[in-house]
Amino acid sequence: MNKESSYDTWFRLDNSGKIFPEVSNHRETNVFRVAVSLTEVIDKDLLQLAVDAILARYPMFKVKLKKGLFWSYFDYNSKPFHVEELKHYVCGEINPKKNNGYLFRVMYRNQDIVIEMFHSLADGAGVIMLLKAITYEYLVLTGKDIKPDNLVPTKNQRPSMEEYEDANSKFYDRKNRKHVPEQRAYRIKGTPLAEDLTGLISGNMSTQAMINLARENGLTLTEYFAALMMYTIYVTQIQYRGHIKSNQAPVKIFVPVNLRKHFPSNTLRNFSNFVKSNLVMTKDDITFEELKILVKEQFEKGMTKSELIRKMSENVAFEKNVFLRFTPYILKKYALKIGYNMLGMKLNTMSLTNIGKVDFPESMEPYVVDVTAAVYAGKYNTLNCSVISFRDRLKVTFTRSIVETTIEREFFRHFTNLGFDIEVESNYVEEY
Amino acid sequence: MKYCDKCKISINTNNNYCPLCQQVLEGEQNKGVIEKYPEYVSINRKIYPLTKRIILFVTIVSIIILLIINLATFNGKWWSLIPIGSTFYFWVLISVGVFSKQNIAFKLAFLTSLLIGLLVLIDQATLQEGWSYNYIMPLLLFTCNLAISGIILIKRIDYRDYILYLLTIVILSLVPIILLFVKVISEPWPAIMAFALAVSILLFIIFFFPKSIKDEIKKRFHA
Repeated sequence: MNKESSYDTWFRLDNSGKIFPEVSNHRETNVFRVAVSLTEVIDKDLLQLAVDAILARYPMFKVKLKKGLFWSYFDYNSKPFHVEELKHYVCGEINPKKNNGYLFRVMYRNQDIVIEMFHSLADGAGVIMLLKAITYEYLVLTGKDIKPDNLVPTKNQRPSMEEYEDANSKFYDRKNRKHVPEQRAYRIKGTPLAEDLTGLISGNMSTQAMINLARENGLTLTEYFAALMMYTIYVTQIQYRGHIKSNQAPVKIFVPVNLRKHFPSNTLRNFSNFVKSNLVMTKDDITFEELKILVKEQFEKGMTKSELIRKMSENVAFEKNVFLRFTPYILKKYALKIGYNMLGMKLNTMSLTNIGKVDFPESMEPYVVDVTAAVYAGKYNTLNCSVISFRDRLKVTFTRSIVETTIEREFFRHFTNLGFDIEVESNYVEEY
Repeated sequence: MKYCDKCKISINTNNNYCPLCQQVLEGEQNKGVIEKYPEYVSINRKIYPLTKRIILFVTIVSIIILLIINLATFNGKWWSLIPIGSTFYFWVLISVGVFSKQNIAFKLAFLTSLLIGLLVLIDQATLQEGWSYNYIMPLLLFTCNLAISGIILIKRIDYRDYILYLLTIVILSLVPIILLFVKVISEPWPAIMAFALAVSILLFIIFFFPKSIKDEIKKRFHA
């Protein structure tokens, strides 16, 4: 698109994005967060300038959600965007009425720049790009001599059409779209926190040490974490309680897969799928070793090209269904809502998002301290986890909508017992 | 930096206990640490203001009384639906017309259509004189057309958001003229007036904003 963003600009929602506006509310917000800590205190006005410059470059973020006859769509937003001070609430609902219709927030606190985004607009990889671009622009405005090194998109680049494509429908295969029915997953139990509270606990570890640990076990980092997560859930919630009805549902760890690494696409919009580990844990003697083998096997099976395409096509086929397409939006909204409540929402025990390593240009690295990622925790996924790393600082962040922190505690103790150093951060919600 | 010897983790905070196991942290009581995350301030959930609750209470009680009187003195006519419908319209008028943050063209188009519907119902429920579609319907559509196009001309900036609602009213303005042809309406001049204005507005849009109308339709109707 070789023109300035203007009133002509509008976008269809991408395949994964279509579901979120209908199923999100103040409890299931479908919002996720990425944050960067810099070495200096953030200047609000400069941050505002940086965001404005980047929004002019990325028309796909300068949008509001509007309803059409058949689908909702993103329409150009002519109103100004305002950066805000960081509030306590983690990944709270993004209320378009309160921020001029935008579907994301940029916040600041001390040295941190925080972006919270509604999942309809982009996925983790897309929002990391936005975070990098804003951080770069901000550092340039504070007078730092830094270069983008092709790692950061700058405001001077022209937007390319490729950034907006709905890659899901590009790689969609009509023949490989079989629907595989799934069983409802085990739900982590606990005392619910107040509705406007989300607990957040992060642990900082050494990236290299963790990768080495996973490799010694013949696993990737994500597989190791997923296996450990299953084991922790088993030990803290299910072991010796397998006879209870609700414990007989399978524990499923949902791990988003960034499809840009598997298919050639540079889109900034949603282009991710998932793999899941899945096990009914009613036995009394499940060991961590067993789970490592199981998770490795299940993830390898889920990551094959044909399986990824199948999952992608299953969703796209649903969207391309003629009956659904030409159902008026008002009815479709309720159909999607009911369908998601019955199926989608309850299929995961928790989600484990590994955003991976964030590469900043070498000239920028001295100004960056660390990065954080977090996803919302809701009524069904009461505990979620995200992993992100910058240089040798790997940050595992748990967000929870329950008071109990037993799973986090056992998870981190596993590593401290192996002799690793962990520095914890918390937003301390237990007091309230 | 403080330390939990149970979890063997370190943490930089002013708080005295470990977030993982709630045990007291070791280390010096340093109060100068800037917390990574801000303190909790409750987001107060909106509670209905007292006035709203009073009006709501009076409304519901009135509806119940009206229904009871209507039923007790039933003579084959549901006359209570007229005040109940009007009360309902009052609520929509206040919530959509005054308090909602929808754009003004939507408010006008929506409230006008609803009012026409209500008045036609009242006309039908009473003496069936036809005043509602002879005069009210075409004249209200005429006024609404005039109002929306006037607002669009004054506030040019957002006309793309408004144009669809204007189109809806323009198309609705064709209803009286059709009713005139099928002889439901006996008084021709209001219907013709509404029709003439609608056609002029339509031609104005087609002549001067052909692209925006095409774009808007493409956006709203993509499947």
